[in-house]
Amino acid sequence: MKLYSKKAVVKALCFVCLCSSMQALADGRVVDKVYHPYVQPLEREFEYRYFYQRQADHPDNNTMGQKLGYGFSVAERAALEIYVIADRISPEDYKLTGYELELRWMLTEQGQYSADWGMLFELERQNNQDNYEFTTGLLMEKEFGPTSLTLNALAVYEWGQTLDAEWEGEFRAQYRYRWLPAVQPAIELYAGENYKGAGPSLMGVHKFDKQEQLKWELAVIVAIDNDTVDRTLRFALEYEF
Amino acid sequence: MKNIELKKRQLRKNSKKALPITALLLLTLPVVAEQSVFELRIKDHLFLPSVLYVPAGEKVKLLVLNQDPSPEEFESFSLNREKVILGKGKATLFVGPLQPGKYEFFGEYNPDSAQGVLIALPEAEWLQHKANHAY
Repeated sequence: MKLYSKKAVVKALCFVCLCSSMQALADGRVVDKVYHPYVQPLEREFEYRYFYQRQADHPDNNTMGQKLGYGFSVAERAALEIYVIADRISPEDYKLTGYELELRWMLTEQGQYSADWGMLFELERQNNQDNYEFTTGLLMEKEFGPTSLTLNALAVYEWGQTLDAEWEGEFRAQYRYRWLPAVQPAIELYAGENYKGAGPSLMGVHKFDKQEQLKWELAVIVAIDNDTVDRTLRFALEYEF
Repeated sequence: MKNIELKKRQLRKNSKKALPITALLLLTLPVVAEQSVFELRIKDHLFLPSVLYVPAGEKVKLLVLNQDPSPEEFESFSLNREKVILGKGKATLFVGPLQPGKYEFFGEYNPDSAQGVLIALPEAEWLQHKANHAY
């Protein structure tokens, strides 16, 4: 019995190729969460994200970033999240660098069409520098049997005191095997300004009690070109209640 | 003559550019197919029926009606679905096409009582099931 067509796989791959071929230019952090296009009513969560970059002779060596957020659904298909961002950019010390407001909007019901769609809107303000970054784009997910392909094609507009106003592009992809709720291996791909990387990731969910669960994600992304910092570690925790 | 050649070249160039756009448009096209609709009710923190038979190999629509005043979340890892249904509300879930087999689901707000299983039957068994339950 044929449960998903080759045509659908080809369509998804075409989308990956299309997004990868777009000019990818972004000054900010490229390795971040790969967003799923789903929102639940009554959703509430605390979120922590961490990333660390390493390559001895690279300008981004020893860069470390952390994000702490609180999110909640504001409508049946829309959720808001507010973040505080702290970064350590060598040789400077760790400091609070900015704030971010994020809106996720679920466009289609899961499984209704050949792929599920959502949109992302983010506004980030960098502390003390009066710099801003607005990000928007499409979130897509498609099931292939026990696996899921998630794609984020994002456009970023930056402006401010120490930034040239410009539009940039970012692309994130995740191909996940839904093995067990607590352990789901995946492969991730990222493309942005001076960054092209891919690598393995592992994620899962642990339920504590009614409506209480902890989601975790860990990924090691390695450079796939010479401009990209060699290794990036990404870690995220989400406590939903 | 020169103009015609230039126009042809331009057309060839534009058709190459159109390829990825066409690919994106194809991907966004919804797959239109007639779907069977199955009703699932939530009452007194129980799923009714607690065993739901559906045909394997085709996409089905589950209409979940929450008759309780409190919200409930339909959750199933094997179906890869989670959906909150507000108190006295309803929600539509699209599942499948499924392999023949059993797919467990539960209510996240009342996991001890709200439990159920969706059974996807192969074509012959599904036709038999339908014939037995025809009225």
